[in-house]
Order: sequence, then C-alpha cells, then structure tokens
Amino acid sequence: MVNQIRKYSLLIGTLIILAILPAFFHASTYIMNILILCLIWGVMAQSWDLILGVASVFSFGHLSFFIIGGYVCGLAAKYMGVSPWLGYLLAGMVAAIIGLIIGIPCLRLQGMYLAIVTFSLQFVLPTVIVYFGPGRSQTFSTGGSFGLENIPSPTLFGYTFNRGELVPFYYLSFVFFIVAMAVIYFIIKSPVGTAFKALRDAEPLAKTLGIDEYKYKLLVFAISAFIAGVTGAYYATYFQLISPSSMTLDVFLIVLVMVLFGGLGVYPGAAIGAFVITIANELLRPTLSWRLVILGMFIIFTMIFMSKGLMGIPDVFRSLYRRRLRQRSDRSENQE
Amino acid sequence: MTSSTVVNLVLAGITLGAVYLLMAMGLTLVYGVTKVFNYAQGSFFTWGGYIAWCLSVGVLRWNYYLAIPITILVMFVMGMVFQNLIVLPLRSKPGWDFTVIIVTLGCALVLDNLALVAFGALSKTLPNLLEGNIRYGKFAFAKHDLVMLLTSLVVLAILQVFLSKTWTGMALRAVSQDNIGARIVGLPLNLLYSYAFGIAAVLSTIAGILLVPRTLLYPEVGWEVVLKAFVVMVLGGLGNIKGTVVAAFILSIAEVFISFIFGGIWAMPIFLAGLVVVLVFRPKGLFGQW
Repeated sequence: MVNQIRKYSLLIGTLIILAILPAFFHASTYIMNILILCLIWGVMAQSWDLILGVASVFSFGHLSFFIIGGYVCGLAAKYMGVSPWLGYLLAGMVAAIIGLIIGIPCLRLQGMYLAIVTFSLQFVLPTVIVYFGPGRSQTFSTGGSFGLENIPSPTLFGYTFNRGELVPFYYLSFVFFIVAMAVIYFIIKSPVGTAFKALRDAEPLAKTLGIDEYKYKLLVFAISAFIAGVTGAYYATYFQLISPSSMTLDVFLIVLVMVLFGGLGVYPGAAIGAFVITIANELLRPTLSWRLVILGMFIIFTMIFMSKGLMGIPDVFRSLYRRRLRQRSDRSENQE
Repeated sequence: MTSSTVVNLVLAGITLGAVYLLMAMGLTLVYGVTKVFNYAQGSFFTWGGYIAWCLSVGVLRWNYYLAIPITILVMFVMGMVFQNLIVLPLRSKPGWDFTVIIVTLGCALVLDNLALVAFGALSKTLPNLLEGNIRYGKFAFAKHDLVMLLTSLVVLAILQVFLSKTWTGMALRAVSQDNIGARIVGLPLNLLYSYAFGIAAVLSTIAGILLVPRTLLYPEVGWEVVLKAFVVMVLGGLGNIKGTVVAAFILSIAEVFISFIFGGIWAMPIFLAGLVVVLVFRPKGLFGQW
C-alpha cells in the first residue's frame, strides 16, 4: 500500500512538474520547443520500446512508421483537405496497416533476419519518398528531399495552434503525451503484456498454455506502429513540415539511444530517456559534428556499463543498500 | 537493349558481385566465428578507403601500391582492436547477442562521424588501380573492372586456402562449428575472434579500395555496401559459403539490370522486397540449412 502511494505520488509529481514547466519557460521559444520535442520523442521512444523491449522483437524500422504517419497526415491535409485531427487517426491506421503488411511475413523470421529486413526500411523509404518528389506527377508530390511543407496545424474551438504561441501547443503535446503513455501502460498491463512477460520468463510453459507468440507479436507490432504513426503525424503538424531528413541514420540512432538509455522494456524508461537525450542533444549542438560522435560513444558506454539504462539505477542503489544491511548484520553477528 | 549492352551489364554485374562477395564473406566469417552481426563493417570499408586516401593522394602522397599494403595492415590491427575493446567486454553479459548489435551500430555511428569530422563531407576519390580500357570489338571493359574482378577472386581463393589448409584457418572453422568443443580442446578463442574481425576488416578494406574509384568516398558510403552485403549473406543463408557466392552474383547482376532499366535508387527497394519474399518461403535464406 505504502509502495503504491509512493508510486502514484511520483507519477502525480512528475505530471505536475510537466504541467507547470511553461510557467517558468514560456518566454523562451527555444526552451519551449525543446520541451515539446521531449514530449513527442518521449511517445515515440516509448512506442518503440513496446515492440523492442516488451515484445522483444528486433524491429529496427520503427522510424519508418513515424515518417509514414507524418506523410499520410500531411498529404491528406494538403490534397484532400482532411483536418489534422482526422489526419492523426488516418496516419495511425495507415501506419498500422503497413505494419501488418510488413509484420505478417517478417515476424515469422528469427531475430537477426528480422533486424536486417526492418533496418533496410530505414534506407529504402527515403529514396522512395524522394522519388515521388516534385515533377514526378502533376497532381501529387511528396516535396522530394526538402519535405512536405505548410502542413496545416490542428484547430480547436476556433483556435488554431501555431508556432508563434508555443504554450498552447505545449499543453496539446502534454495531453497527447499522457494519452499515449496511458495507452502504452494499459497494453503492458493487459493480457497481451502479460503474455509477453510469460514468454520471456518461461517460454516453454507459456507455449504449452497456448499463448500464440506470433499473433501477439503481430498485434503489438501493429499497435506500436499505430502510435508511431500518430506521433509522426503530430510531429508533422507541429513543425508544419515532414521531410526524409527526419529519417537519417542519426535520428534512428538518437531515438534508439533514448530507448536504451532509459532502460529497455522497463515501462516509463524510454520516455525518461527521451527527455534526457533530447536535452543532451540540444546541449551538444555547439560541438557541431562531434555531437554524433559523442552520442555514439554514449550508446556504447550505456550498453557496456549500464545495460539496464536509467531504470537500472534504483536497482544499483537497492543492491548497495542490501549489501550495507548485510554487512551491518554480519558485523553485529561477529560482535555477538 | 542490344546484345552488347546485355554483355556489358552482365560483366559489370559480375565485377560488382565479386566486391559484394568480399564484404559478405567478411560478415559471414565474423558471424560464423563470433556470432556477432557486425554493423560496423561498413565503417571499416569507409575507413579503409580514407586511410588509403590519406596515405596516397590525400596527405602523405606515397606511392599508391605502397599505401595499399600498409592500409591493409592498419585495418587488420583496427579490426583486432575493435574486437578486444568493444565486443569482448560484452561477451560475458546477459543478453549480449542483442547488446552487441546495438553496440556495433553505435560504433558505426562513431566511426562514420569521426570520418566526417576528420575529412569533411566533401567526397574524395581513389585512383583506379589500372587506367585505360580493354576493347574487343564492340565490347569495352575498363581495366580497373578487370582488376576488381581478379583481385576479389584471388583474395577469396586465398581466404579459402587459408581456412582449409592452415592451422589458424582450421581453428577458425572449428570455433564456428562448435564453440564449446573448441574451448574444451584449448583453442585460444579470444585470439581467434580477433583474427576473424581483423580478416573481416581487411576484406572490407580491399572491397573499399576496389569499389571507391567507382562510387566516390564519403562518410556514409559504407552503409550502402554493407546493407547489400547483409542481403547477400541472408539470402545465401547465414554461414553458407556456397550460398553466399551464388547470392552475391544473382543480386549484383540483378542490381545492374534494375539500375539500368529503372534507375539506381530502385535497387535496394527491389532487393528488400525480394528478400522478404524469399524469406517467407525459405526462412533461412535460399541455401540455408534447415
């Protein structure tokens, strides 16, 4: 019970801090922009963690769903006049369907094969997007390598969110963040999440109990693709721009660092990692090209020395504390 | 498409295939011996090219034919250092097969961006190994292409002899067949792992020196090649040498024709679609063991 209260107090405390942050930083567009990015990448990293950490599927193509979502929302808004709200839903659905199309053949593959096939998406999708750029057809263009520009922002009760006022946009992102995190939390706590836990901890038993791994993997793959698609669409309407440059190897690795640094498969880890890495990434900007070298080293050191990421830190303290307790009891026994 | 175009394309495809085969053999060797999927192999390709460039045309202006063996030696050491510094500490950790993928990806990021910091984003190039063309009637064949093909085949033949005749080569094969057995009979596993990485680095360096005069040299150049090598390796069946050879030539000839007909950017999407289709029906590659 006490434990539960402590857990909820932490949650509520975090939410309150996130909610009042604009009060301190509303004057600086730069910081507000970074905070909004933290929220967006938080959802993205957490949705990737759902497939990578919870379901243990080596899916390296998650950023593709983000980009697909962004383009679907942007193209629908520009060429069919679909409102961004509907666009988000559409983007998620298209991303989920593409996820299913990729997942149905690929999820039967073993880990390594799956990693390569999904990783190749990273390189294939931008070339396809650039190919359907300006000049390819009279009626339709993805904007080529410059990206799709002037994507409309969402409107609520006659108010159009815009890049001029970031505080309302921050709260919109905040709501989006909470909803997405809650959805992911309920998926992890649902029978699906439990099934994966069972598969991870006692695979033979789980399989004899009739847990169909493939079916669940496909389901989670589609759900995480859906969330990534919606996030991509939201990102596109926030920046009013989506371009293949959001899908370079650097972005891929930065998002991957978020997931790993936060802690793979430990629920709010990826989102926390996203906050830390997004801010670190901004702080490293003055180092220019060294930024990615440093981030790369960060990946290597995290994986070698902190394989559970930030979420592993409490464990370290707990084990230290236990050791202290044990030493103390040893000492008292010796005295007796 | 006239018959002479077809012949030229097939020849170009075979040449390209031989180079992909070098890369894929490096990956296969490392995977077979150490069970690591080395995403940093593309960076070895890039760095091999850059070191050769530094020694020859770029900075030191040595004779190119002197620069190549030194580059190869440097890269062999680099591969061994990479194994000892990066891969070895991970080996004892739980879930290392996953961590090592991420770490080699991270290394690729570090190495590529170090290249960007050191040499800039501007493309460099390496000289052809032999200038000029060979003409036979309607067919023209660049001498460098011939060098590419012959060098690759010779290197692969040497690798084959090394693996089947020498003590070290046989030890490497023993490790790849039965890791625990090799440990029981007392083979120096760490050294052999290092050799595997060193040889893979050398193979990708040779591939780099051969291919860079065709593709130019820029920090991300390795990715394209290494992804194709991955596709070759997976299609051929992991660790299956005969399958890898066949897959390399099928893919490279297909690539040349696809590039000729639809344009170069479609090669990778079509490869990927083909790979997925093949893997659906044969989940361990075309020639994989069942």
